[in-house]
Amino acid sequence: MHARKEEALLARVRRLPTELEPFRELLLANLVMFGEIPAPTFGEEERIRFLQQRFTECGLQNTSTDEVGNGVGILPGRSGGRSILVAAHADTPFSATVNHTLSLLPDLVTGPGVADNSIGMALLATLPTLLEGLDIHLESDLVLLGHARSLGRGNLQGLRFFLEHSELPLRAGLSVEGAQLGRLHYTSKATLGGEVTVEVDEEGELPSAIAVLNDFIDALQSLPQLGEENTELVLGVVEGGTSFKTAARRAALCFQVRSDSDERVEAMGRAIEALAHDLSRPTGITVRFEIIANSHAGGLADDHELILQARRVMTSLGIQPQAGCCSSAASSFAEKGVPALTLGLTRARRLNQPDETIELGPLMRGVAQLIGILMAIDGGCCD
Amino acid sequence: MTDINQWLSTNTFHHSQFWDLMRLIEEKEKQGLTISLCIPTLNEEKTIGKEVVLFKSELMDRYPLLDEIAVIDSGSTDRTLEVAAAFGADVYLSADILPEMGYKRGKGENLWKAIHQLRGDILVYVDADIKNIHPRFAYGLIAPLIYRPEVKYVKAFYDRPLALSGEIRPSGGGRVTEILVRPLFSLFFPELTAIIQPLSGEYAVRREVLERISFPIGYGVETSHLIDVYKLWGLEAFAQTDLDQRVHRHQSTRDLGKMALGILRTFFKRLRRHDILHELPELPAILRQFQVRDGHYEQVLYEIQEEERPPMIEIPAYRERRGLAPA
Repeated sequence: MHARKEEALLARVRRLPTELEPFRELLLANLVMFGEIPAPTFGEEERIRFLQQRFTECGLQNTSTDEVGNGVGILPGRSGGRSILVAAHADTPFSATVNHTLSLLPDLVTGPGVADNSIGMALLATLPTLLEGLDIHLESDLVLLGHARSLGRGNLQGLRFFLEHSELPLRAGLSVEGAQLGRLHYTSKATLGGEVTVEVDEEGELPSAIAVLNDFIDALQSLPQLGEENTELVLGVVEGGTSFKTAARRAALCFQVRSDSDERVEAMGRAIEALAHDLSRPTGITVRFEIIANSHAGGLADDHELILQARRVMTSLGIQPQAGCCSSAASSFAEKGVPALTLGLTRARRLNQPDETIELGPLMRGVAQLIGILMAIDGGCCD
Repeated sequence: MTDINQWLSTNTFHHSQFWDLMRLIEEKEKQGLTISLCIPTLNEEKTIGKEVVLFKSELMDRYPLLDEIAVIDSGSTDRTLEVAAAFGADVYLSADILPEMGYKRGKGENLWKAIHQLRGDILVYVDADIKNIHPRFAYGLIAPLIYRPEVKYVKAFYDRPLALSGEIRPSGGGRVTEILVRPLFSLFFPELTAIIQPLSGEYAVRREVLERISFPIGYGVETSHLIDVYKLWGLEAFAQTDLDQRVHRHQSTRDLGKMALGILRTFFKRLRRHDILHELPELPAILRQFQVRDGHYEQVLYEIQEEERPPMIEIPAYRERRGLAPA
């Protein structure tokens, strides 16, 4: 991007948090309304319906849903012909029976899923109004996507489906997450999310399913592939048994393997399959391994112009870019050759707990960074 | 007696019937109406911010249905007023309104003073403790008044889950309604049994009605409104709107006992006023409940005052503020 053009962009970006302040309540009202609609993975319909309704109210002519339950709205650009995608996952890790009421104080909002990712959905719904209010008119069409079936077993199904089937000429993609402000993720590790289930017959003198699962975990942690090419194992969820005085007949483990190398993860998958087979016994112990989610290594280079521009925008707003972690969404974009990154809107704590909390203080700076990066993409930084 | 089934079919609505807010606003503007939302509060810092943000953003900024949003507070000791003001509500201390009339503590006092303080032709009252607040809580009640000129008073009703724990429980609530108010209405004002939730704290009312009825300051305010409006204008003046679920605080049976006494006192006062019962003794204001301490039963006394404020139209300061000739 030309230096003078870039400086003009950054000057505008610095003013955005103040210019956005009058729209804060609009965003918060959407946050409350989205946040109080339960949206467990595979149960996002009502939230997507509300997103569609908001898009219509904003005057978006082109809104639709698809076969996997995504909601899409398009804000036409001045030139059109090319598109920028802004995406937020609609689902949360909370079941529909959890009380989803949010609590709003002048500086905090608390409630299940408020950061992950009700605020992201609220921003999608508010973005057309914000751009109009800021008198920002993009050349590109802005494609707003609330994608379903993302978390856990959802395995980013909605985003993948959209990228697979959309014929829109995407210049770039921005994934919006509530947390953390400063997040700048543009690479994906190779990952494998797995579930191992141990079932032990009730008949006979068999060990507890938990003991078998324990043996499995010991063996899993000893696999030689771990440590090579940054291959690591995350033990995420364990459940099993029904009572302290009865040997467990069923136990399960959910885990993730991450690596810089697709081959390493594939090798781990084969090794885990073999482990499960080894621990199974024809006499009444069944160990099953199922892959529930995966992604390939990929993403953008550190010196990609989109990343450089994003860093400049964030820095101009006093946001320290943090590129340490990876985002599996980046893998979906990378597979389609679309430059993309994931941003966080504000600071959050107690993520994925019922009292998940976001801070309102930095929120409009988080929104400003997204709009600034949108403007940079629209100005041609990815072309 | 009005055919209750007929009334139910013509005067009972569901909020979804009023989804077209643009049409509603058009009609409001055609009639030249102003609408005020009043949220009476006492220590509601956890829920007030959300209510104000939602109503202001959705029903003032996005859809200009409300002309003012006011919080009228009974003297909260938490951050209720600060939070409400931070999100753009007009905030008032009840004691500061009509100071010459003194101050009485109670929700009814706040509702009554709102008539003086707020400027709307229609006033909507919404409790501050609603956890699942949504714009429908206001527009669902306002709409029948806009579309049906003969309707004067619109009550909310709900499928009421109680927020007992982390999970939403399916149903419950309305205990005082079912075991006290509905039986009393069945005995003395059978038509009023058609009001599905007579004690709901959310209602929208025309000013011309509010200024002509008296206001018990405590638990009896909703019951007295129904009886007084019914006696003055009949069942046809009412409508009710189903607002779906309302998640609210669960009240203990002991607290409901206090509410029941307040309602009974108001109710008997109305029976006397309307010449339905004549030989009533002076009703004591003391509720007697019992508890066990160290294996012994002991009596606990609560004083439940049910003072009433007169119709606002009788207050000189109000007449002056509204440009009415002195009474």
